[in-house]
Amino acid sequence: MPLRRLTPYLFVAPTLAFIVLFTLYPATQTLVTSLYQPARRASGEPTFIGLQNFVNLFNPSHFIGADFVIIFGNTLIFALVTVILSVPLALVFALLLNRKIQALGLWRFAIFYPALLPMLGAASLWAFIFADSIGVAASILGFFGLANPNWLGDPNLALFSVTLVNVWKQSGYLMIFYLAGLQAIPRDIYEAAAIEGANGWQQLRFLTLPLLRRTTLFVLVVTFLFAFQTVEHLPALGSGGPGVRSNLILYYIYQKIPERLNWGYVNAMTTVLISIVLTFTLLNMAFFERKGVEDERG
Amino acid sequence: MSAAKRQSARRPIRWTSRLLDSLTVLLSLLWLFPLVVSLWMSFRPQFASADSSALLLGLFTLDNYYDAWRISPWGTHYVNTLIFVVGTLLVQLVTVTLAAYAFARLRFPGRDLLLLLVLAQLMIPSTVLLAQNFVTIRNLGLYDSHIAMMMPYFGSAFGTLLLRQAFRSVPYELEEAARVDGANVWQVLRHVYVPLSVPSYVAFSLVSISSHWNEFLWPLIVTQSESVRPLTVGLNKLVQSSEVGALYNQQMAGTILVIAPLVLLFMRWQKQFIESFAQSGIK
Repeated sequence: MPLRRLTPYLFVAPTLAFIVLFTLYPATQTLVTSLYQPARRASGEPTFIGLQNFVNLFNPSHFIGADFVIIFGNTLIFALVTVILSVPLALVFALLLNRKIQALGLWRFAIFYPALLPMLGAASLWAFIFADSIGVAASILGFFGLANPNWLGDPNLALFSVTLVNVWKQSGYLMIFYLAGLQAIPRDIYEAAAIEGANGWQQLRFLTLPLLRRTTLFVLVVTFLFAFQTVEHLPALGSGGPGVRSNLILYYIYQKIPERLNWGYVNAMTTVLISIVLTFTLLNMAFFERKGVEDERG
Repeated sequence: MSAAKRQSARRPIRWTSRLLDSLTVLLSLLWLFPLVVSLWMSFRPQFASADSSALLLGLFTLDNYYDAWRISPWGTHYVNTLIFVVGTLLVQLVTVTLAAYAFARLRFPGRDLLLLLVLAQLMIPSTVLLAQNFVTIRNLGLYDSHIAMMMPYFGSAFGTLLLRQAFRSVPYELEEAARVDGANVWQVLRHVYVPLSVPSYVAFSLVSISSHWNEFLWPLIVTQSESVRPLTVGLNKLVQSSEVGALYNQQMAGTILVIAPLVLLFMRWQKQFIESFAQSGIK
């Protein structure tokens, strides 16, 4: 084959090679390994056991299921609560920062900077707020004569505390999609509405919000999707404890990697995670692709 | 809009406007609060709690930074993070440019199928594949090296798509004109496509730099020596030792050391960062 006809393949090859090696191959490998039970001895051959790993994962009376069922629930709650709190916050931030206001740069910095922090760093800032007795929350609540809850140690509160940090970090990032959405709305619509006598609230309710529906859909999916991959804050916030009450799937996978005998479960859990993420990414892409087509047409 | 109408519209708006301004300031301060407290704590003597009666400016110390520096070799961590971030970006810029050009402007059998394979990276983010990727790195004999941290990111679907879009908006006549003048494909890329796509390169670079600067779990898994570990892993060491001794002042100093560079960059190039991140939704 002449070099000219090979050129396209040579150009695509590096990108493709790395994506095959670190995405397609490991994904396939995960799927296959999830159907096997590791041998008792390191030198032995793994046994094919079909879907038994998955059955055990979702069986609360099995040793792995006892943890995983809780962690699976935690992850769903973490994702849902993140969405429910951070998406409306993001919208409010965008509406506030899309106005004329003095020192706009400062306020925008204040809302957006958490998005630039490493998740572990963000959590580390909050670790001191949540700390017992010497912590900031303890001091503030103490000032008002209130008891400081055990933010990270109370099994019923830990997951919420961990979620709160994510909401604080994500909402500024999500705001920028709303800002972009707001700036795409033509000004004259509002002028027309004002002439018709619509007040600010009515303009928001009947113009802005409906026109942002597409952005909202996108932000909802992205937030949900990211939440399933967000676990790096846990090491600074009690490492998923107490027990596994604030643990999340990906962090549990990380914890189990060194345990050779649980390798089948590690891969089964990864398969569960991949299925969730894949579903929402495809949803997201279906949406994004439609938008892309319109952009190209326009 | 007539002056009379503006006048009448203004009166009710003035106090709602002031209310919304206050709300903006209030929420901003609330969001800044964790950073301000940590910054403050990082300069406070140990065991002085936040509500300590000695909230005096006189009690200001750099001890926490010295201590944090003693626990982990931060100089080495800075160098490692820089190698990780810059090394990854340099390789990405090459791979992404080549793939983007092929997908944007070349016709070849199997193009759509190959593009779909590239897109797989957007559907299954490598973060969730860390168990199997760890095995791959170990089997390649790369465990505990800089290249181990970087390698999964050498191919970037996000970058390829972003630049493909940019290249497609370059008028094809420009390439034709260059070709007529005898330019080969490298010259066409260097003198036509790359210079005309600078904003996309900036956007991609900022997203790449900030996401790898902050990367933690993956480097933690594929390294074990301080000599290759990045800042985030160094911070983790402080975080874990703080949990035992409640040395939050040190931990805050360490956190500030890790986050300061990006936060300062963001202060300087706020607009570029926000515009770049706005394109990263598909990452």
